[in-house]
Amino acid sequence: MLFFSFFKTLIDQEVTVELKNDIQIRGILKSVDQYLNIKLEDISVVEELKYPHLSAVKNVFIRGSVVRYVHLPAGAVDIPLLEDATRREAANQAGKAK
Amino acid sequence: MSFFGFDPTRPNPVGAGFSQARDPFAGLSGHGDDGDALDFEDTYDGLGDQLDETDDAFNDDTFGNTGGSAAAAAPVGKDFDFFGQTAKVANAIEEEHVRFNRQAPVARAVQPAAQPTSSAAHIHAPPAATSSYNYAPQPSYKPARTGYEKYSQEPVGELQVDAALWGVAPKKHAPVPPPQTHSPATVPAGRKIMSLEEVEAQMRAQARRPAEPAAPSPVSQQQVQQPQVHYDQGYQFQQPTQPQAPAHANDQQYHPGHGQPVTILQRPQSKHAAQAPSHPAHIPAQHNAHQRPQPSAPVQPTHILQNPSRLSGDAARLGAHSDPTPPAGYPTHPNHRQQGSLSRQQQQQQQQQQLVTHPSQLSQLSEEEKAAYMDQEAKRAKRNHKIFLMSRDNGIMTPQDKNFVTRIQLQQLVAATGNPNDHGTDESLVEDFYYQVHNQIQGGHRQHPSQPLNNFAQTYLFQTGSRHGGLRRHHRGPENHMQRMEQQVQRAVEAAKNKPKNKQLVIEGSLGKISFSNAKTPKPLLNIKRNDTAGETARPSSAHKNIHTTSGRDKKSELRSIEQVYSTLMKMEDHDRMMPPPPTGEADTHAIEKVVEWNTTAQALNKKLWTALRVHDHPQPGGIHPFIALLSYTKGKKAMERIFRHATVEQRTIILTLIVVNLDELDVVRGAQVATGDIQLNAAMRENVELFSVAVMSTLFNFMNELDLDLVAGVLGLVCSRNIDVIAKSRIGASMLTMILSRAEIIKHSSGRTSQSWQSWDAAYTQLFNLLEPSLPYIFPGTVSSGDDMYVWQLLAAIGIGASPDQQQRLVLAVKDRVMDTVNLAKTLPHDLSAQRLQNVNLFMRSIGLDVELLQ
Repeated sequence: MLFFSFFKTLIDQEVTVELKNDIQIRGILKSVDQYLNIKLEDISVVEELKYPHLSAVKNVFIRGSVVRYVHLPAGAVDIPLLEDATRREAANQAGKAK
Repeated sequence: MSFFGFDPTRPNPVGAGFSQARDPFAGLSGHGDDGDALDFEDTYDGLGDQLDETDDAFNDDTFGNTGGSAAAAAPVGKDFDFFGQTAKVANAIEEEHVRFNRQAPVARAVQPAAQPTSSAAHIHAPPAATSSYNYAPQPSYKPARTGYEKYSQEPVGELQVDAALWGVAPKKHAPVPPPQTHSPATVPAGRKIMSLEEVEAQMRAQARRPAEPAAPSPVSQQQVQQPQVHYDQGYQFQQPTQPQAPAHANDQQYHPGHGQPVTILQRPQSKHAAQAPSHPAHIPAQHNAHQRPQPSAPVQPTHILQNPSRLSGDAARLGAHSDPTPPAGYPTHPNHRQQGSLSRQQQQQQQQQQLVTHPSQLSQLSEEEKAAYMDQEAKRAKRNHKIFLMSRDNGIMTPQDKNFVTRIQLQQLVAATGNPNDHGTDESLVEDFYYQVHNQIQGGHRQHPSQPLNNFAQTYLFQTGSRHGGLRRHHRGPENHMQRMEQQVQRAVEAAKNKPKNKQLVIEGSLGKISFSNAKTPKPLLNIKRNDTAGETARPSSAHKNIHTTSGRDKKSELRSIEQVYSTLMKMEDHDRMMPPPPTGEADTHAIEKVVEWNTTAQALNKKLWTALRVHDHPQPGGIHPFIALLSYTKGKKAMERIFRHATVEQRTIILTLIVVNLDELDVVRGAQVATGDIQLNAAMRENVELFSVAVMSTLFNFMNELDLDLVAGVLGLVCSRNIDVIAKSRIGASMLTMILSRAEIIKHSSGRTSQSWQSWDAAYTQLFNLLEPSLPYIFPGTVSSGDDMYVWQLLAAIGIGASPDQQQRLVLAVKDRVMDTVNLAKTLPHDLSAQRLQNVNLFMRSIGLDVELLQ
């Protein structure tokens, strides 16, 4: 749940989602769910010339499994908090494994 | 059925003719003319005589070739399709309504002539009940233009003569001799007599029918004017039932002729029944009721049964009628076709347009309405079919199965959205820690702004500078810290500039030391030297032995220790959140227990933290102190502030001491030595220095500002025991020295001197100065032009304030070159840059009572 929890805080921030087919889509993160499916609005494709078929698309829903990377806005990430959240997640997982 | 002992089979001689359509053929049912009622000939207008009763030759032309029992299916003309036509001109209905009102008086005027006929017409109902109506085919009597032609388009069932004629009429009309003018043959045909079942069904339909508008009597009376039009008369019989709703819903409009039976029928639901007798027109009506023929008997129960489901007459009139479950198997709806008066018909149609309670009413609707209705029917049927199909799977899942599925779904839902109820609770924090705390910090979605942030939020919110990633972290934090340090130095400088001479003169002029006492620091009578610092100094000696090698360090265990520190910190933060409220009193043992328990746990955690910090661990031979080793890691540095928050004052002091003692062993000191001409440290080290400055120095700075002079002097003494040259040549070391010295100056100016502690301070200071003096020219980073030397000027200023005149002189000599170079350089720089440089220099110059202005 850490990633879900994390991405929820990025809602209404601009992110760039890099898909496994190398398309990079930049847009406002509108929604994310537990599968890390992503809804973007006001999107623009990074290499628009290469993917002209997406130039008319204004918002997308991306299945979480096709996402390779999400480029985060650094300013919106609370690093110490994220570190601690990661520790907690690890502790939870360890606790569950037992 | 007999009321009041009257013979119901006998026509009512009195009530006949009042608003009731007469049935000229009623007498044919076998009831003789009683003769005690109105004489038919007296009231008969004679119109019927004009008919050629024997001429049936063209009946087929007129009525179509329908007959007998088959008459039910016989199409008739649509000339009387008033409803169908008016429905198409729904907009005109209102006009027609008005017109009707105007016509009503006219109709009433015709009434006298009609009455006899109507009374004669009422005898026929009993035959209907006995199924004696085997009438001849209709064609025989149909008028040339009955107005019914249009009904031929309607469904067959709708074309039947309304059975209500017989169902209702018998109850209400006095036995009047059947009109002699009517041939036996025409009578049955005109009737389209129905079976008893049909009659009953029609009665039911009537009962369900929306009530008629008020003032029906003129209409009904008007209908009788043309006796020779049998059909007309026939369907007028249905009228008596129409007013039934008004009869019980509205007394004022009680209809004299036929209202009574209806009233009786509806008594179960209507209180108006009781009032009916008072009506002027009531008596004849009652009379009628008594003589009601038997067919009404089956009818009455039906009415009673149906009454509860009926709306009041008024409501029905308003079109609010919406009976959802009309009894199946209704015969045709009686009303609309049989209206003698056009306007009345329209009225009725108007009502019926709005009310489709039964398929039989369909025929009365316009095509569009019909279509809409059928559409709805189709939908409903489809739905029912669907339900039926699905119902086949009923019971496949047991309740347990359903519960199981529901649980799974709920679980997923909660996992996906988070239960709004447990925001901030442990469960949600475990699963959703980052989001919850982040939200609280950002404050964007705080539901209760008045509530304080929880501990977590505070933990991360107050990590100065460190929670702003990227550039901000590197700039804002240190800036803030450096600014405060600079301010502190400046304050010290200002204070030194304002007072010192006087004091010094006084001191110098006197033979002994004059110590001032004030309220805050009274002159101590006993001055016992504290051993605090002595204990601290003992430890460094052990640390001293270490040779500075990193080779012997166990990186893995150090990292593990740091993680241990963090997890303990998180536990402590968790624990803090569960701090019980303070007990309200001695009696509150439960609360006290809780507090004690909490404190025990807190202490255990604190101990765990302390152990994880490895402060008391002995360094391995040749290695550095384990705690200092922890500080060489980024996350170790970052933990400092949080550690300080959870540590006791004693623990904080120990940590401060430990850091100072090992100052020259810190990687940020040893690895960041300045060398003239080569100030460029590698990026990693610069970042380390920044981080240390933000995370550790600011924490220590805050803590040191709470220390008193004794401890400060002790710390300074510790520094002197180290390699001052190394310390001073690093930014962190220089900052540390500045911090210590400026703190001492602040104490000095705020509290005055107390001899003993100041003695120790002066001793430490002198020692430091002596150690530092040779290094002073070399502590500047880079060349003059690099301009990264503000912290050095701060250090010099801090030194200069506390320096004796002699020391000041030596200080000036040591850094004279740098001062002159900077001043010269400032002349070549743009104004703002030069001002900044000069300001830095001036900070130092003023601390020793000079000013750069003097040099220019």
